[in-house]
Amino acid sequence: MIDKTKQIIVYGADWCPDCHRSRGLLTDLNISFVYIDIDKNQAAKKKMLDLTGGRNVIPTIILPDGKILQEPSNQELEAALGVNLKQTAQDKEYIYDVIMIGGGPASLTAAIYTTRERIETLILEKGVVGGMAALTDVIDNYPGFEEGVTGLDLADHLQKQAERFGSKIDYNEVTSITIEAGNIKRLKTTNGDLLAKAVLIATGSDYKKVNIPGESEYFARGVHYCATCDGAFYRDKKIAVIGGGNSAVQEALFLTRFASHIDLLVRSSIKASDVLQEKIDELVSEGKITVHLQTKTLAIEGENNEVKRVLIEDGSSNKSKLEVDGVFVFVGLEPNSKFLVDSIIELDDIGFVKTNDNLETAMSGVFAAGDIRSGATMQIASAIGEGATAALKIRHYLEG
Amino acid sequence: MLKSVTIFTTNTCAYCRMVKKYLSIKGVLYDEVNLDENPHRRSEAQQLSGALTVPITVVTKIDDTKEVIVGYNLARLAPAIA
Ligand SMILES: Cc1cc2nc3c(=O)[nH]c(=O)nc-3n(C[C@H](O)[C@H](O)[C@H](O)COP(=O)(O)OP(=O)(O)OC[C@H]3O[C@@H](n4cnc5c(N)ncnc54)[C@H](O)[C@@H]3O)c2cc1C
Repeated sequence: MIDKTKQIIVYGADWCPDCHRSRGLLTDLNISFVYIDIDKNQAAKKKMLDLTGGRNVIPTIILPDGKILQEPSNQELEAALGVNLKQTAQDKEYIYDVIMIGGGPASLTAAIYTTRERIETLILEKGVVGGMAALTDVIDNYPGFEEGVTGLDLADHLQKQAERFGSKIDYNEVTSITIEAGNIKRLKTTNGDLLAKAVLIATGSDYKKVNIPGESEYFARGVHYCATCDGAFYRDKKIAVIGGGNSAVQEALFLTRFASHIDLLVRSSIKASDVLQEKIDELVSEGKITVHLQTKTLAIEGENNEVKRVLIEDGSSNKSKLEVDGVFVFVGLEPNSKFLVDSIIELDDIGFVKTNDNLETAMSGVFAAGDIRSGATMQIASAIGEGATAALKIRHYLEG
Repeated sequence: MLKSVTIFTTNTCAYCRMVKKYLSIKGVLYDEVNLDENPHRRSEAQQLSGALTVPITVVTKIDDTKEVIVGYNLARLAPAIA
């Protein structure tokens, strides 16, 4: 290694490209040097000629130990200095102001706020930009759209607005977060490591499996978790929908536009909003939907790679079979927090991320917003509100 | 080398949109078969993939070998169009 306390002298001239190259390399390596233009300083030129035995070649570089290099290549200069630019660049990994994990409404909103404040923001999304909202057909309760808005449209607008102010989106899955010296967070991703001063976790949740025989066997061949993706394959066919919460009811209603009939299989009772309940009642009276309450789904059965029926059990333990062509499962959501289980970030019993009043997790400078946050209300309007709050808290954190 | 890329989609499918965006970013031209507008081609999509889902991306190489990718799966899509 070079002795940085002694100066390196570079003799050169402004018209000389190799002089620019050598000076650029030293600058990139963060090594200070004195530059002398021999055209402008005749005394210095004489000194250079003395040192080089009259060889009038530039750049001439005098190292602290007295060694003289004339017109060195970058490799020769690096070797003489005992350094390597590539290695130095790796040692100095780029540090983002904030990285947001997940590209749903919470992150996209937070990114609109941070980038408008000139906080450099990178969003990492493993699936669909827009998150769960993009997978939802029509959103009726998001304020500002009196006729409702399709999930795809809302997602598109949020993405464009975030990108307009300079947010970057990368298609990448985060697999762990750790904290390093100087409060820097290291994110391991499927595409290498990334560093950030602050992090927003907004990974939402994914559909739960019901864990019955036939479910994985017929996955995507008759068993589905996304009505807006796969509903179109069931035009004029019979479907069973498993689940009784808001999302199951909403998805069943969406599927009526394709299916000839839907059996809604509800383990206990329907737990959906009054508006949705009314819509279901209407379709029941039209004969489009049959609701089976207190009903367990025991198995999905088929032949020749096709689903043919579901085996169910009613409240009095009577078993029966329903003929269907496909099954859509909406039995709730599980938090996307598996990548956090080994970190110091605290999760609640179900796996949602715990935060304080500032939406900050147990890891300093790591915030959480939207569906992934313990206590969240699982609505787009709330996720968007939390995204805005988190952005303001992140700004405050970065200002230190 | 690619000969052609065809994507089977529906109007409401967000993952289809992601595949289309990805191909556009990579500068890959594709044909789209919208199954809402062409319901008669559903069985073709099903036969190609063995699945009742979209997106289905069919990548045909210059030697006429085909690769069929079910869903938004960058781990398979990226090498297939490389
Ligand atoms: C069927 C259904 C219908 C709904 N209808 C409505 C409605 O009508 N009105 C309403 O207000 N709300 C509705 N919701 C709820 C709404 O979709 C959510 O509240 C909202 O999308 C939450 O936003 P979010 O940004 O917190 O998370 P999400 O939208 O879930 O986004 C999280 C994103 O993070 C990504 N991700 C996860 N893990 C990682 C990782 N490790 N690395 C990188 N990326 C990752 C995911 O792929 C996802 O895109 C509905 C939900 C469902 C399931």
